[in-house]
Amino acid sequence: MADFEKRNPGVRIIQEVGPHSSTQFHDLVSQKLKNRDTEMDVFVMDVVWPAEFASAGWALPLDRYFPEAEQSKFLAAPLLANRYRGRVYGVPLFVDAGLLYYRKDLLAKYNFAPPRSWPELVDQAKTILAGEMDPLLSGFSAQFKQYEGLICNMMEYILGNGGALWDDARLVSALQQPPAVEAVRFVRDKIIGEIAARGVLAYQEPESLALFTQGKAVFHRNWPYAWRSANDPERSKIAGKVAMATLPSFPGHRGVATLGGWQMGVSRFSKKPDLAWRFVDFMTSPEMQKRIALATGRPPTRMALYDDPELLQKIPQLPSLLENFKRAVPRPTTPVYVPLSNIMQRYFSSALALPDTNIAERAALAARDMDRVLDLLRGAPAP
Amino acid sequence: MRGSHRLALFFLFPSLIFVGVFTLYPIFESFRLSFYRTILTLPWLGQKMVGWENYADLWTDPVAVQSLKTTIIFVAVTIPLELLLGLGMALVMNEVFRGRGLLRAVVLVPWAIPTVVSSQMWRFIFNDRYGLFNVVLFGADTARYTAPLAEPGPALMAIMAAEVWKTTPFAGLIILAGLQTIPDELYESASIDGAGAWQKFRHVTLPLIRPALLLALLFRSIDALRVFDLVFVMTQGGPADATNVLQFYGYKKTFAEGMIGYGSAVAVGVFFISLALSLTYLRLLRESRLEGATR
Repeated sequence: MADFEKRNPGVRIIQEVGPHSSTQFHDLVSQKLKNRDTEMDVFVMDVVWPAEFASAGWALPLDRYFPEAEQSKFLAAPLLANRYRGRVYGVPLFVDAGLLYYRKDLLAKYNFAPPRSWPELVDQAKTILAGEMDPLLSGFSAQFKQYEGLICNMMEYILGNGGALWDDARLVSALQQPPAVEAVRFVRDKIIGEIAARGVLAYQEPESLALFTQGKAVFHRNWPYAWRSANDPERSKIAGKVAMATLPSFPGHRGVATLGGWQMGVSRFSKKPDLAWRFVDFMTSPEMQKRIALATGRPPTRMALYDDPELLQKIPQLPSLLENFKRAVPRPTTPVYVPLSNIMQRYFSSALALPDTNIAERAALAARDMDRVLDLLRGAPAP
Repeated sequence: MRGSHRLALFFLFPSLIFVGVFTLYPIFESFRLSFYRTILTLPWLGQKMVGWENYADLWTDPVAVQSLKTTIIFVAVTIPLELLLGLGMALVMNEVFRGRGLLRAVVLVPWAIPTVVSSQMWRFIFNDRYGLFNVVLFGADTARYTAPLAEPGPALMAIMAAEVWKTTPFAGLIILAGLQTIPDELYESASIDGAGAWQKFRHVTLPLIRPALLLALLFRSIDALRVFDLVFVMTQGGPADATNVLQFYGYKKTFAEGMIGYGSAVAVGVFFISLALSLTYLRLLRESRLEGATR
């Protein structure tokens, strides 16, 4: 940022630090925008916000500054998440996608290759658990608490079974469709309480990662950041014994990773939008993206950097990350994402935590609630 | 007389303004908003006056009804426990013994810790792998370790336990204040009449601390109805919505989903429930005072 100020004399960047939790950060930024705060020129958005910010009239359309030719230099999935009704509202700053981490020492011991399907993962985990005889060892750890991360996790099973959360073109839920119901049932009956302790129903990222880095889980689903923690000998008991792979799918379907990450957007209430854009452009430039990647290990959003020799040397897992980003899917972009997410969180959490529920019935109820919310979008004026 | 009355009004004026701006205005504004359908993220829908529709929806919204039930269970379970334990605490603190000052200070610690911090602590206590809860219960028998926050029923109990731990000292303190107003002579004469410890407690202490008990009941019930931070930090309303209390539901509707009208209706609902409770208690309180005065 000091560099930007040096290159733009007279400009000072004031950085405001927000809460760590995305949901709370959302409440803070949207509060400022609701109040038409002119002091905030540039903000960062979680991957599910651009549609909401665009629809509410908070984010400035950036097509004027950010032409198609420039857009095509970025990874496709994060860019898609920044588009809403034909216009672009943000520039990807960081990119995330779900990954499968596993104990390569344990898999090698039992002669297993990384699992390609969820049933295969369950079988491998069961064999390893039976062989290791360690009551504290879990087969799998991931995030199943009732919060946004639950959507990210469940979407990977549902889309990996050929299903969808909802149909954004027809504005109807898809949760009650067989592929989605089957995927949820699989997680409840074959994963929770079977290869994963029921405790995962209260886990967010940190708890699930802790279990893995303490050497108490064979498989682990997390974002790219977990690689560093898992391989840090000071914090991890399994440093050097970890490998990562793309997430499995169900037989006959393609594996899917939920896209995460952060975007930079410009406030519609900014008094100096041109200058604000220059800052966004600077932060997402190849030069800065490379510097951020080198300093923090966060993967860049520009495709060209995945061939950068210096970066490849520093972050050797870049090629496999790139492969995973290419199969990453954003959650559908919609201005009513948060209400939809809350309905789905409620449904998933009930379906998983209550072993006797009739999943199809609950899915139908959740779908009805989602349809009511999606109905609000009918008759939306053209942008 | 009239002059001093006017002077009194004049001195009251600043606090009246304060109450008006920071208490009455928000209440009226919530009322007004609750009659509109306003969805922040869908500005083209505009601000539509819908009359009682939000309230009608609230009544038929299974999630709202469920969270009302959860809130009532929460209040009905935690308040008696807090008063009972608080009473015990107050009785101990009222005795004369060495280190009483220290004990009184120590007992207040849970109340003094910000709830966000203590909620975080309870979240760790209930962790299924390294939480104190399991260690105390099962020791090294790790196979029996449970995950209270992962199961609907136990998660609610865990939150209630944290609430009781945190607010019992407050109830205890109010009851202690009541105990201290009882003159020693009453106990002396009771002893002379041959009353045992239980009879003294039953016939002297209990009637005389009734106002204090009611006051503790009033404060604690209103507070428990508005429980939010414990849920926010420990469970986010889950699992399976088992800890989704009214105030948290209203917060999610208003601030996360941008459904300003509906969220306001939830807030107004909570407001009226606490108002009704307060009025009932205040009436009981007045009656018990009158009784005391006529006795």
